[in-house]
Amino acid sequence: MNTNRLYRLALIPLLTLVALVGRPAQATPAAMLTATPAAIRIGAQYDGIAMHVAGTVPAGSEVILRFSGAPGELHLREKGKVFGLLWMNVGKVSLNNVPGVCLVDSSLDLEDLGSVAAPFKLEGLRDSVVVNETATEKVDGAGSATAAEIDGDGAAASGKIDVMHELLLLKQHEKLYAEAAGGVRLGPNSGGSRSFSATVAIPSALPPGKYLLEAIAVKDGAIVDRQTTAVEADLTGFPRWLSHLAFNRSLLYGVLASLIAIVSGLVIGLVFQSRGGAH
Amino acid sequence: MNLTMNLYLPIAGNSVNCLAIFGLGGVVGLLSGIFGVGGGFLMTPLLMMMGIPPTVAASSDSNQIVGASTSGTLAHFRLGNVDIKMGLLLLIGGIAGGGIGVQIIKILRQMGNADFLISITYVLMLGIVGGYMFLESLQAMRKSRKPAAEQPGPGRESIYARIVRTMPLQTDFKRSGIRMSLLMPLALGTLVGVLAAIMGVGGGFIMVPVMVYLLRMPMHVVVGTSLFQILFTCVSVTIMQATQNHTVDFILALLLLIGSALGAQIGAKVGKKLGGEQLKILLASLVLIVMVKMLYDLLVRPDVLLAYMGEH
Repeated sequence: MNTNRLYRLALIPLLTLVALVGRPAQATPAAMLTATPAAIRIGAQYDGIAMHVAGTVPAGSEVILRFSGAPGELHLREKGKVFGLLWMNVGKVSLNNVPGVCLVDSSLDLEDLGSVAAPFKLEGLRDSVVVNETATEKVDGAGSATAAEIDGDGAAASGKIDVMHELLLLKQHEKLYAEAAGGVRLGPNSGGSRSFSATVAIPSALPPGKYLLEAIAVKDGAIVDRQTTAVEADLTGFPRWLSHLAFNRSLLYGVLASLIAIVSGLVIGLVFQSRGGAH
Repeated sequence: MNLTMNLYLPIAGNSVNCLAIFGLGGVVGLLSGIFGVGGGFLMTPLLMMMGIPPTVAASSDSNQIVGASTSGTLAHFRLGNVDIKMGLLLLIGGIAGGGIGVQIIKILRQMGNADFLISITYVLMLGIVGGYMFLESLQAMRKSRKPAAEQPGPGRESIYARIVRTMPLQTDFKRSGIRMSLLMPLALGTLVGVLAAIMGVGGGFIMVPVMVYLLRMPMHVVVGTSLFQILFTCVSVTIMQATQNHTVDFILALLLLIGSALGAQIGAKVGKKLGGEQLKILLASLVLIVMVKMLYDLLVRPDVLLAYMGEH
């Protein structure tokens, strides 16, 4: 009993200290960032979603919003000209730390937010993505069998193509990368803060995984606040069941897929026969 | 009532419009039923245009061809157009050839010029097969106006025909109305299997001309027998891709299948109404169109200079 009382007494100054340290400054009210829905459920009728984002940032700030994530490896074929005439695959490119998705929007054009906004542009991915280019084709003697690690601007070792530029084009074609401006709506300054809201179009090809939603507040050419919230995308319902079957019981899945296809083909054939179409 | 036609495909990792997929299946199935080709060389690029990854497009297409060729084979079987004996021999040869082709590709990849050879083989095969069929059919259609031109004279036997006639293990293929050595379909099946494995296609568009010109089978039996053979090839591809690469999207395949199986039934009837020469010239035109498209893709700079693995 006495020990418990001693602990309680010791806790009072500790909690007081925590409360004082943890208390936000009067000038900057508690920042917040919310996403609705908070998690993405990929069911049978999933066709991408409109994610509503809202939050507050320090008064007078502009906002950059970025939804990105599931960084991973990517192995691609590089196209080039063979014999100066034919466009075909001439090499392989391995890329590391490539976000599966990167969607950027802002309240003001990123160009107008100064150099501090540069890392948040799609082009800013050049700093984080590592490109390993291996030219495997030797048909016109241009390629070499050596691998060259390229960083910085991601330009090909052979000087043929800018791998990073082409990667951005490829991902933009798939609607997995996008960069826009003006989509983040700002509220009026009120008591040292201002609210913002936006709608992020989550693409239908979003792979399941962990994503990060970031709101970056920029004021006078400097980042004054940065908030993040995690968003998880998960398969649910029938897609989850089917994916589990395909990846964990693949032989059964393959045999079932073939059998169902054969039975369906026979049924359709018999239906046509019963309608008197066949001899 | 909010009735959405979109469906999420978990293996392809994207959602598709059911009606668009159904329609695509129907059109390709129609061509499959008319000509006895699997249609993979048309379906896979079209699926990729709809946002399906290339490896999933090719594997799921094989799965749907299982259904379409079952339906097509059934329709042709009822019409008496399936030579099972010939189909099985071609199939055995095809499986052996496929194994050889995969080894050739491995060696080529080690040498570092596989993609170049694949592209060139593809365009040349399409060009030669399409061009020859087109010209030959055109000549035959002109001649057919004279009924006496059907039977070649006994003194005009070619060297090829003489070799075929003198080969051992001669047997009758009743459905096809021909007599030749068992070794012929085995050897030609192997050749087509090698080419199909190198090009990464089912091989229907090579098998059909081989049956017509080298095995001298009647066109209608060719179509039914080709579908019969494709059925078995695609079952093995589906199971192999599902177990090794997990790239078979069964839902996508089922959607395509419903469209294509219906299309194949209609195609078989349309094919029956068309003459053999008309069928050949239409297939030749289709093959030539695909060849021109491939050549165009090779000559014009692509929009994006990176591609996912599995794309040509």
